[in-house]
Amino acid sequence: MSSTETVVTPPAEGTQDAPWHHLDRRMLLIRPVLDLVKSLPVLLGALLFGHGEPWQWIGLVFTAIAVFTGVSHVLTSRYRITESQVEWRTGLLQRKHRAIPRDRIRTVDVTSEPKHRLFSLAAARIGTGRHSHGKGPGKDELVLDAVTIAEAQRLRTLLLHRKAEAVTTEAADAPPEQLIAAVDKRWLRYAPFTLSGLAVVGAAVGTVYHFAHELHFDPIQFSLVQAVVGHFAETPAWVSVLLAAVGLLVLVSLLSIGGYVLSFWNFRLTREPAGTLHIRRGLITTRSVSIEEDRLRGAEIREPLPLRLAGGARCVAIAGGLREGKGADKGGGLLLPPAPVARAHEVVAEVLREDPVATPLVRHPRRALYRRLSRAVLGVLLLAAALYGLAWLGALPDWPWQVALVLVPFAALVGWDRYRGLGHAFTGRYLVTRSGSLDRGTAAVRCDGLTGIVVERSYFQRRAGLVTLIAPVAAGKGKYRVLDVGEADGLALADRALPGLLTPFLTGDRDRG
Amino acid sequence: MSEHTTNTAPELRPPAHRVSRRAIGYWTVTASIVWIILIGVQTLIVVTSDDAPSFLTVTLVLSCVLGPLHLIVMPQWRYRVHRWEVTGEAVYTQSGWLKQEWRIAPVSRIQTVDIERDPFEQLFGLAKITVTTASAAGPLRIAGLAHDRALALADELTKTTQAVRGDAT
Repeated sequence: MSSTETVVTPPAEGTQDAPWHHLDRRMLLIRPVLDLVKSLPVLLGALLFGHGEPWQWIGLVFTAIAVFTGVSHVLTSRYRITESQVEWRTGLLQRKHRAIPRDRIRTVDVTSEPKHRLFSLAAARIGTGRHSHGKGPGKDELVLDAVTIAEAQRLRTLLLHRKAEAVTTEAADAPPEQLIAAVDKRWLRYAPFTLSGLAVVGAAVGTVYHFAHELHFDPIQFSLVQAVVGHFAETPAWVSVLLAAVGLLVLVSLLSIGGYVLSFWNFRLTREPAGTLHIRRGLITTRSVSIEEDRLRGAEIREPLPLRLAGGARCVAIAGGLREGKGADKGGGLLLPPAPVARAHEVVAEVLREDPVATPLVRHPRRALYRRLSRAVLGVLLLAAALYGLAWLGALPDWPWQVALVLVPFAALVGWDRYRGLGHAFTGRYLVTRSGSLDRGTAAVRCDGLTGIVVERSYFQRRAGLVTLIAPVAAGKGKYRVLDVGEADGLALADRALPGLLTPFLTGDRDRG
Repeated sequence: MSEHTTNTAPELRPPAHRVSRRAIGYWTVTASIVWIILIGVQTLIVVTSDDAPSFLTVTLVLSCVLGPLHLIVMPQWRYRVHRWEVTGEAVYTQSGWLKQEWRIAPVSRIQTVDIERDPFEQLFGLAKITVTTASAAGPLRIAGLAHDRALALADELTKTTQAVRGDAT
């Protein structure tokens, strides 16, 4: 379907004087409404608090500016694709012009939020492979906020499949894309173990508390709350705590299942003939992410503790141009939603064409265990001491430091589990490292993607003969650590991962050639 | 510290060059400013306030002991650790004091070479070179270089980087 689009487009596309395209005008029906809703708090706030004051209409001015900016953005934004670059212009009063060289485009991410889906529109986000933090969003990416879904698909094929374009346009029908993974209804059982609902509950409680506090009303005055509190006052404390815990657990589980359905509905990971991975997912907001295969720098299998106990795992791509957990890129590289861990390995094997993550890992020295244990336990003990100090000063009741003390054995368990997880391997093309307990991740990073190597050694690590190896890459998290590896082991690993780079700086083993 | 190096165990040798000796003065001055502010504020509160909290006297005494100790030990220690080396293929730095780190970046991955000088660095005739790679985790910093040395080094790096062109990501 997309290949026919390419044929239909005017021949001028992709040449020096390519035609300019506008954003879809139907956005004019949606954008002002959204801008109005967004500026409603300012508008109402100014009217309410500034009643009778000369500045009470200032909200109206702000709203007008917001609506005007939105409308002019839709009307004046133009883009075109020339032979060498994608150009974009916008603005009426303040004009902007941005050009991105086409060979630097790494990702075209298509998102349809509810506002887009009304008219089958989408936002196309064109990203370069640059990977530096501290830059605001949109610095070196280009967002076309309202194009038809067909146009978004066309842009995607046009911009990403340049190398294969010649081939695909000759063949009348492109060979079908190959399905790597699709979501399975049975995977819903992993949803409660992601605890994603906890964030929703936290946010809701926070918001309610904030508003109650702002508007100066005491929730205790409500008869319903009063009845509940009164009921609990009669029952023993441990029953109330148990009931509250069970209630919270059920609520969080339900919300997590809801979140799973919303995010991963219709999840499909496919490989297109041109060598691009294509991820589509979402129920209300649909996302479509493309990752050029030569931008793939590896993959990571994530097993947070609850999910790991249930035998589940997630799979994430380490790809250039996709910053992990940063704004719009959040969750962009997800290759598999929480699913059985065996399935995650299958997906890695399918995507990377080998499964380096499954390689048996080299365990780290025993001294690393003492470090993990002491760090976990000392952390909790310090917390307990601080809480005790506050209790002693009378700022806090006694129970917080007592609870902190009770946590000590758990901290020790987590420390032990963290040590058990530590491991590394070198598979020829990939450096594999695993760490973490509450948030365990096993990452396989392509060695030719490393932009150097960092060796860290704290005073205590030095005494234990350990170092932390950091593998910087321009993809995913930006760096992957090999935590507390034996000094000689770590350097040998780095030397194998980056052949020749360390050699002139190493002493000792001189006969490596 | 356990000496477990044998002939076969690989070990990173320190980079060839030290930074400028004037860096010791620079580190001493910049650290002392922090300590002076810290001690000054605490003294002000203890002296002027009628009922200063008792723990403040303890922290003040601690600061007065730790501050000078830090100022004597840290710059010397740092000076011994901070080293750098540039070859045709790679940039190699060693830095830190209590926590030390070694960074190696191949010249083919270098994206930018920056020289920075804050007012105190200018006072001591020093400069700081930052070599960035495509990864956010990979910048190499050589702090405390003599200014002319830094200029020459940046020049050399830019030249070698241009000779080895690549995608750098």
